[in-house]
Amino acid sequence: MGKDKRIPVLAMIVLLIGIGSTIYVQASQNNTSNIKINGQEYNIEDIFKIAEMRTIVTDNGEITGVALDDLIIKTSNICNSCNQYTFKAKDTYQQTVPWSYMQKGVITDYNRVYFQDTAHSFWVNNVVEIEVN
Amino acid sequence: MKNFKLIAGILVFGSLWGFSECILGSILKDAGLPYGALMTGFFVLTFLVLSRMFYRQPGMQMGMGLVAGTLRLFNPFGGCHLCSALAIMAEGAIFELIWHKFSYDFNEFRTTTLQSSMGILTAYLLYVSGYIVTQVLTPIVSGVGFHIENLVVFMPRILSSGLLAALIGAVMLPIILQAKKLDLKIKDKLYYPTALGISAICWIIVIGTWFILGA
Repeated sequence: MGKDKRIPVLAMIVLLIGIGSTIYVQASQNNTSNIKINGQEYNIEDIFKIAEMRTIVTDNGEITGVALDDLIIKTSNICNSCNQYTFKAKDTYQQTVPWSYMQKGVITDYNRVYFQDTAHSFWVNNVVEIEVN
Repeated sequence: MKNFKLIAGILVFGSLWGFSECILGSILKDAGLPYGALMTGFFVLTFLVLSRMFYRQPGMQMGMGLVAGTLRLFNPFGGCHLCSALAIMAEGAIFELIWHKFSYDFNEFRTTTLQSSMGILTAYLLYVSGYIVTQVLTPIVSGVGFHIENLVVFMPRILSSGLLAALIGAVMLPIILQAKKLDLKIKDKLYYPTALGISAICWIIVIGTWFILGA
C-alpha cells in the first residue's frame, strides 16, 4: 500500500481510537462525591473534622486545606513512611507520591490535592480515592 | 552561513512557539478551554510545518522544541512548568520522527484528503505522545519514580483528549500548506536582525513577566 492510501487509513484509525476512548471515558466516569481513604469511605466534610488544617505556599498562591499526613495518621493504622500514596481522580487521572510529599500536601474542600514545591502534575483534581500502597 | 541562518531560524521559531505556549496557552487555560489540544492543533502544527517548509533542514524542529521548552520553564503563569516544558521538547522530536520519511517540498500531499489525513496524524500523535512523555518523565525528573499503573489507567483519557487536536489538525494542515505558494524571501541584512529581534522580544516578555510577578 502506497503513502496515498496508507496515510488516510492511519488517520481513520487514529480518529476511531480517539472516538472510542472518548466513549469509554464518558461511560466509566466516577460520579461519587465521597473520598475513599485506604478502603474507607469519607465525606469531604468529615475529613475536615478529622484532621488538622495546613496552609502551604505554591506558585498558585497560598492554599489551605486538610494536612494529608495528619489525615492518613488519623484514618489509617499503618507504617506511614513505608508506604506510597496514590491519589485517584474522578477522571481516572492518578498520581503516586511518597510520605515526604504527604507532609507538605493538603486536600481542599473542593477535593483538590496540592503539594508544596512540586510539579503541578502531582496536583490531582476531584480526588475520589487515596490508596495506600 | 547556512548554519547561522538555521540557528537563527531555530531560535525565532522556537521562541515564537514557546511564547505562544506561555502567553496564549495560559490565557486559554484560564478561560477553561482545552488549551493543550488547541495549542497543538493551531500553533504547534503551524510553527513546525512552516519551519520545515521554509528551511528544509533535518533536526530543526527538534531544536525548536528545545528552545520553546526552555522558554516554557520561565513561564510565570499558572500550569505545570516542568511537565509542559518536557511535552514541548518531546513534540519537536516526535514531529521529526513522524515526518522524516516525507519530502521537504510536501509534494506527496497533492490532495486535500491527504493533507487533512496527515494533519490528523501529526496533531494527534504530537499531542498524545507529548502527554505520555510528560506523564512518564515528570515523576522521574521529580525524583518520585514512575508508576506505570498511573499511566495505564489514564491512557483512555489521554487518547480521548487528542481527538480535538486531530480534528483541528485536519483543518489546519491544508491551510498551512497554502504557504507554499508564497515566495517569501528576506535579505540577509534584514534576516538576522529580524530573527534576533523577534526572539529577544519573546524572551524579554516572558522572563520580564516572571521577574515582575516574582518580585
